[in-house]
Amino acid sequence: MIGLANAIRYAALSLLITAAYGDSLVIKNVHVHPVTAPDIENGQVLIVDGKIADVGKKVTGRGAKIIDGHGLDLYPGLINAATNIGLEEIGSLRDTVDLNEIGEFNPQLMARMSFNPSSSHIDVTRSAGVTSVLTLPGSGGGRPGPEATVFYGQGAVMRLDGWTWDDMTVKAGAVLDMNFPVIGNAPPKPFPEMEKEYRKKLDQIADFFENARRYQKAKAAANSDFKPDPRFEAMIPVLEGQRPVFVRAARERAIKEAVAFADRQKIKIIIAGPEEIGDTGPLLKARQIPVILGDTLALPLHDDSPYDSRYTLPNEFYKAGVKICFGTFDVQFARNVGFQAAAAVAFGLPYDAAVKGVTINAAEILGVDSQLGSIDKGKLADLILTDGDPLEAKTNIKMEFIDGKQVSLENRQTQLYEKYLNRP
Amino acid sequence: MKRALAVAVAGLVCAVCVRAAAPSAIAIKDARIVPVSGPDLPRGTVLLRNGLIEDVGPDLTIPADAWVIDGAGLTVYPGFIDGLSTWGVSPPPRPEPAAGSNAASPPRAQGPEDRPEDDAFERAADLMNPSDSRLQMARDAGFTTAAAFPERGIFGGEGAIVDLAGARGRDMVVASPIGQYIALRTRGFAAGFPNSLMGVIAYVRQTYLDLDWYKRANVVYAAHVSGNKRPGYDHYLEALGNSPRVLLPATEAQQIDRMLSFGVELKQPFIIYGLHEAYRRIDELSRSKTPVFVSLKWPAAPKDGDPANVPDYRTLVMRDQAPGVPGLLARAGVSFGFYDDGVDKTADLKKAVRKAIDAGLAQADAIRALTLNVAEIYGVADRMGSIEKGKIANLVVTRGDAFADKTKIEYVFVDGQQFKPSEDEPAKAAGDTAALRTTGAPPALGPQYPAVRAMSDHGVETSVCAIRACE
Repeated sequence: MIGLANAIRYAALSLLITAAYGDSLVIKNVHVHPVTAPDIENGQVLIVDGKIADVGKKVTGRGAKIIDGHGLDLYPGLINAATNIGLEEIGSLRDTVDLNEIGEFNPQLMARMSFNPSSSHIDVTRSAGVTSVLTLPGSGGGRPGPEATVFYGQGAVMRLDGWTWDDMTVKAGAVLDMNFPVIGNAPPKPFPEMEKEYRKKLDQIADFFENARRYQKAKAAANSDFKPDPRFEAMIPVLEGQRPVFVRAARERAIKEAVAFADRQKIKIIIAGPEEIGDTGPLLKARQIPVILGDTLALPLHDDSPYDSRYTLPNEFYKAGVKICFGTFDVQFARNVGFQAAAAVAFGLPYDAAVKGVTINAAEILGVDSQLGSIDKGKLADLILTDGDPLEAKTNIKMEFIDGKQVSLENRQTQLYEKYLNRP
Repeated sequence: MKRALAVAVAGLVCAVCVRAAAPSAIAIKDARIVPVSGPDLPRGTVLLRNGLIEDVGPDLTIPADAWVIDGAGLTVYPGFIDGLSTWGVSPPPRPEPAAGSNAASPPRAQGPEDRPEDDAFERAADLMNPSDSRLQMARDAGFTTAAAFPERGIFGGEGAIVDLAGARGRDMVVASPIGQYIALRTRGFAAGFPNSLMGVIAYVRQTYLDLDWYKRANVVYAAHVSGNKRPGYDHYLEALGNSPRVLLPATEAQQIDRMLSFGVELKQPFIIYGLHEAYRRIDELSRSKTPVFVSLKWPAAPKDGDPANVPDYRTLVMRDQAPGVPGLLARAGVSFGFYDDGVDKTADLKKAVRKAIDAGLAQADAIRALTLNVAEIYGVADRMGSIEKGKIANLVVTRGDAFADKTKIEYVFVDGQQFKPSEDEPAKAAGDTAALRTTGAPPALGPQYPAVRAMSDHGVETSVCAIRACE
């Protein structure tokens, strides 16, 4: 009965929105959760040209189309800070996977140019309230051993609505995707030998950075014999601290090594997908190195670890004063990013930190906080209208806006649902 | 029948040795004797002749022709027996694809009917190589005998009780076949069936069901030959049927549970080997009356392991408790022995036994586990395992209690043949590589096998026995 009532209400909203399509739009009678500021009961949001023009108890949008939110909640769209959306359709079908290019140093590769704007995963992820994602060119996989990939290429922040990869790009080259070398755990090799291989690999990386710096210098000198090189060209924003390196480091030792590496190279890094914190908290805090957390609902690293050691990990980083956000490091479960944050709340993470972890913190860590992550004046109007807390599994997304435009919530799952509902 | 054969074989062995060696009569006089089968003799004499124990007792008259060893301060034990070993076993050759043929690998096995990894028909007795350098290594630690098995594949093959010295491979064999070695190995996906533990167990089970059918079909056929189609001859099942017992692997508690019930299901006498986590299953083992062999390769932190890899609690407990298992088994009355499990240095073998004693195994129980227990488990206690009149002259003579810190092994007798253990690790026998070169055999297949596979009964014989006899 309630379902029917909702359906009617939803239908009514849809009618309204079709009528209200235009350059400016007011969403009224909503509980606004700006994330960066206190909530506004019965608030209004004015959208002009796809951007948030005003937020408050009452906004003035003369001639604007009006949407009545019927007291529902308005949040900024969620951000998933680590995915391969658009680069992989079905993991087990090689033809649909465009990840992990061969080669150790490929900083010039751009994930956004391979982004498939028609991927089914886009609709599915979007319908769960995720409006933008970081799409990465690597998955942590590839060739193992001494020739393992170091730089997969550049990850881009992509909005989950659009016709081409170009108009879906929020920020190209947001991060440089790096697979930090690990001291292998393959049992046949003794540790000293593996460590030696590892040191050699680090030397190679240092050489690559040095060559990039030479290139940077030569470019600045602009002599006539200067030859552009796309690989080193792609390193310049990294050397200038404009493009953070997305460092995949799971274990404590790898995190410490990555921090030491960042210190040596004087570059900005993000620690991605840590599986333990160890005593890395103070190190990360002192350098303001942020962390993108992977699955919260994961098994412990060791047989003897507490059952909830992964559930509590986000809070461990938070308590250490490290800026955190969430990513799913996959494609098909990218829609669950909010639930990963919610699971951390059940194990100690303050609720606000969890919400920020899928909104404003993610935007800040990925360098898109001037455009995304909160309901603030001047930002892109990426909004979700919900019947409750977006981290709660039972909450429904009633309407979704990307760049101020209402987007469809239809996806492969709803299509299948309709199809089999109508089976005679 | 079997016994008569063994005696005849022993006779042959001696005939060979006697021709090459000095007088075979040896008396070890005034030594402490630990016969194992009875109470210790604080002071007695052991008389050896023709590779057998001619007599043992407190006041023997020493024959005029006997070479006398003054046993003052020495202790004589029966030679130690390894319960499950590959010492001396050359890995059986694999059929190789014809030269130039494109079919490099055999077709993938689809099921039990293809008998993948089934080497049940390989016989250790036919694969003995007296120039395997591990024989000296083992003798130097006091081992005179081993239950040797070929151990490639899931069905490894038929084992044999072998003495660890001989002019030719066949001279080493005391009893054969003594059992079928089973390893629950899984293979790479590309190799085909079986590819999982579940598959391997199902495969072993099916093969024994086939054996049961095969035996009954042959009985029926023998009674009604005319007018009936013959059941056919199965190379693999014949070998399985010949094996008087099955050896099943189980190291962890759950594996022990599994193998205790699996062994019963196979309807064969069975032995369990491994046992490192048996401290959790002592009662079950005691109730089942299953004989077991404890691996001497005690669990330990891997050498040169990654210091960041912290072992889990259960692993730490196992490292701590495993050496206590033999003591627990002895007190629970479980019939058990030891096996080397790839430990391939004299000093390490001694240390490994020492570790079990330090962890609570009584000295007398340790000696029994290394001698009479194993002989009883394999049904050869009538000819070895203790110092008794008429048994094979396999002895260890030490200065001090066996396995005590400063104890030195003075002599080892194998089939009455005297060896003096060297303090140093044996150098790899020169014959090993030479043999490889002369036969052009491919390199050894795995770490279990040293590079000595080519030596056989019919190969070049640089026999240990002959060399030693000249000393």
